[in-house]
Amino acid sequence: MMQPNLIPVLDPNPLPAPYWVFVSLLIITFVLHIVAMNFMLGGAVVALMAKWRAKNRVLGNRVFFDVAKKLPSLLPATITIGVAPLLFVQVLYGRFIYTSSVIMAWPWFLVLIFLTVAYYGFYYVSFRSGQHPGRAGTVMLSSVILIFIIGFLFSNNLTLSQTPSRWGAKYFADPSGWNLNLSEPTLIPRFLHFFVAAVALGGLFLVFVALANWKRDHEYARQVLQFGGKSFLYATMAQFAVGIWFLISLPRGMRMLFMGDSPLATALFLVGLTGGVAAIVLMSGALRNENLRVAAYLVPGIVAVVIACMSVMRDLLRDAYLNPWFNPGQIAEKTQWSVFPLFLVLFVSGVILWLVMLARYGFFGSRKESAQ
Amino acid sequence: MNYPVWDVAFGAGLLIALVAILHVFVSHFAVGGGLFLVLTERKARHKNDAELLDWLKRHTRFFVLVTVVFGAVSGVGIWFTIGLISPVATSNLIHAYVWGWAIEWIFFFLEITAALLYMYGWDKLEPRLHQWYGWIYFIAAFASMVIINGIITFMLTSGSWPKNYEFWKGFFNPTYFPSLAFRFAIALALAGIYALITTSVQKDSALKTRIVRWSAWWIVPSLAALPLLARWYIHRIPPDVWASASGSAPTPTLYAGMAVFLLIVTFVLALLSLIRPGRIHLAFSLLVALVALGAMGSFEFVRESIRKPYVISNYLYANSLYAKQIQGDGGFNVDAVNSAGILQTAKWIKVRELTAADQATVGREIFRVECESCHTANSYRGLRHYLALRKWDENKIQAMIGGLEFMHNGIMPPFAGTDQERAALAAYVSSIYPVAATAPVAADGKTVFMQNCSMCHRVNASDALFKNLPKDANTASEAMKDLTSLFPLMPDLKLTEQQRMALAQWVNAQRTAHGIEAPMEGGN
Repeated sequence: MMQPNLIPVLDPNPLPAPYWVFVSLLIITFVLHIVAMNFMLGGAVVALMAKWRAKNRVLGNRVFFDVAKKLPSLLPATITIGVAPLLFVQVLYGRFIYTSSVIMAWPWFLVLIFLTVAYYGFYYVSFRSGQHPGRAGTVMLSSVILIFIIGFLFSNNLTLSQTPSRWGAKYFADPSGWNLNLSEPTLIPRFLHFFVAAVALGGLFLVFVALANWKRDHEYARQVLQFGGKSFLYATMAQFAVGIWFLISLPRGMRMLFMGDSPLATALFLVGLTGGVAAIVLMSGALRNENLRVAAYLVPGIVAVVIACMSVMRDLLRDAYLNPWFNPGQIAEKTQWSVFPLFLVLFVSGVILWLVMLARYGFFGSRKESAQ
Repeated sequence: MNYPVWDVAFGAGLLIALVAILHVFVSHFAVGGGLFLVLTERKARHKNDAELLDWLKRHTRFFVLVTVVFGAVSGVGIWFTIGLISPVATSNLIHAYVWGWAIEWIFFFLEITAALLYMYGWDKLEPRLHQWYGWIYFIAAFASMVIINGIITFMLTSGSWPKNYEFWKGFFNPTYFPSLAFRFAIALALAGIYALITTSVQKDSALKTRIVRWSAWWIVPSLAALPLLARWYIHRIPPDVWASASGSAPTPTLYAGMAVFLLIVTFVLALLSLIRPGRIHLAFSLLVALVALGAMGSFEFVRESIRKPYVISNYLYANSLYAKQIQGDGGFNVDAVNSAGILQTAKWIKVRELTAADQATVGREIFRVECESCHTANSYRGLRHYLALRKWDENKIQAMIGGLEFMHNGIMPPFAGTDQERAALAAYVSSIYPVAATAPVAADGKTVFMQNCSMCHRVNASDALFKNLPKDANTASEAMKDLTSLFPLMPDLKLTEQQRMALAQWVNAQRTAHGIEAPMEGGN
């Protein structure tokens, strides 16, 4: 049994805005981060599958390099957007996440090394082409493995952060930080839940690649649609098995939250399940009929709703885990009115400028071609 | 002690230094290099210099690979690392400045997007639009420096923040503007220094000549401005804090000297590159970059070490104890720990009972929670090294731990805990480099001074030892028999008669050598 006084005391500084502001920012930015991560990791996995598993090698290679060219943008998107939830999670749950991080400090620190190497790997692959592939496949696989490990380390840390009862034994057995949370029953299903979701989103990413090529190169786009759509389908079907495993692995009290004990959690779970089934049915129909609109607009729309529901569920689950030690009502609040509005103004301006940047580049239609 | 301490055998401080120095060397390039890209593009287009444009395109790819990849990951890396090594400080910085970080994140996001569009847009965008992305990149990168600079300088000179906790009071603190100007000058110089690297691998010597000369315009004036900006910076640092880098404390003094020396070497090398710019070699350009990295690393070391004993000045000590009692500190302030004891206060401590048999074991635990944020036993800032110089036995160590806050211009926080806990810590520290109480002691004045006094005293006219110790060696020796009666905070060192006499004579010799006036006979 843990010593009850191991939970660090709250930071003496009050929350500089209402609690709900941080919760909202945490969930919104987490959703954006996880979508970018899914496109990046899932896209890379699907690209590798295309290269090595597609019956049509020419198609497989083309899909591989088409996706590979996007990865050096998707990885920084994942990292950059990820900084925000990392910030807000520290504001709300710093006591838990700092502690678990220190307990598994070396693996946590290694995330940085793995990320840097994986990142350069993606760049290497993106600078190659079908004519000069070099070791593109092997390098891409290495990067994917490294990111896979990073995801696993994140799952370790986040599960450890919400199970303080394991802290003392782990830390005092090895204060040098060579710990993981391997004995946690939810660890593997939770990690697989995220990984399989990434593969599904990777499939959807290919559907977008098909959309972008639909008019330019219809035959290629049709094949990409089929490959991406099927990847999405199989992964989402597998997700039902993984999801059930994850649900069963939860302690009974937590599991029951989603099965009636908490109306909100149950409703979100049902929406998520229904959305998952609907996405499978719609995607399989879309692939049969080659209905790009359903595959590239309706299904992603439903998936976005499912991800949002799942992210809120994830938050509710964390609060349930931390319930004995975490009471938002105890956290003092003192909004920094001298700077919070400035953040809001800059945030809105930043989003507008960002969209203008993308628009002027031609992401939403016509592109200004070089006069060189 | 509110959080577990990560036990890094080779030194947690070394790890954060490594991550931080590599990061700043790239992140400053990310700012200056952004301006370099747009202005060079403008110049090349204005002069219709196709070769220069072609080089700049390749340089952009290098720029993105260095800044967007390594710069961004190592920036997140600093967060990871400080969260692991100093969670209390990180939590304070996050809670007090979350809106600062959040604003910086907006600029970071714009910066990364603009950098990628600028790189991918070289062949796709018309020139004006391409440069528009370059300008957005530079402005966003500079804006993120404007924000981060506020938080970094707040840690060194927190201004009135510890009294009023007001965001902008801490942000626009005394060193804010000089630090911003200083860092921007470094950023501009680094833009030119990094450009030398990609230039040196070009074959066209005429092109090399043009770029090296252009880069010199970035490097030379910026480096020449640094001494002036440094003066302004130093002027805004409280004199008692800056004293650490001007002789009172060995580490910051050493690094201040290195920073100046390496800055001069960088400057000279930059000028040398102009002698035969068309033949600049990769090895030479990497040497310039390496020396600049050394200079910049030394500067950051100075800033970090003069900030000690604090991690946030006048608020939080480097070992995560609050300097004074504040609301919500959980009892983690020096006074509270002195009365309750560290073993009863620290959360992450294994043994809470102290017995005669396990002094050193418990002392090791105390060392971990109170000292390991800066020290190791045998590696980085290792105690073995210091003890080998001083030859302190356990009793002397215990006495010295009682006055840590007076050593080297107060660069260490005071020991917090009970006398028994101090004895336990001394037992552990002594086990790192055992010296028997009966071991022969040094008897020449200089060694006696270096081993026993130099931590707190320096040879100058304002130093209490040199100002007040009686000139007559016998009287001085008699006075030093009981040091605590001379000054209550002095450790009770129990020097031998021979040592005291030698010390008194050496002090007089130094007075003569440095023109320090001795007190009137009978003075103290």
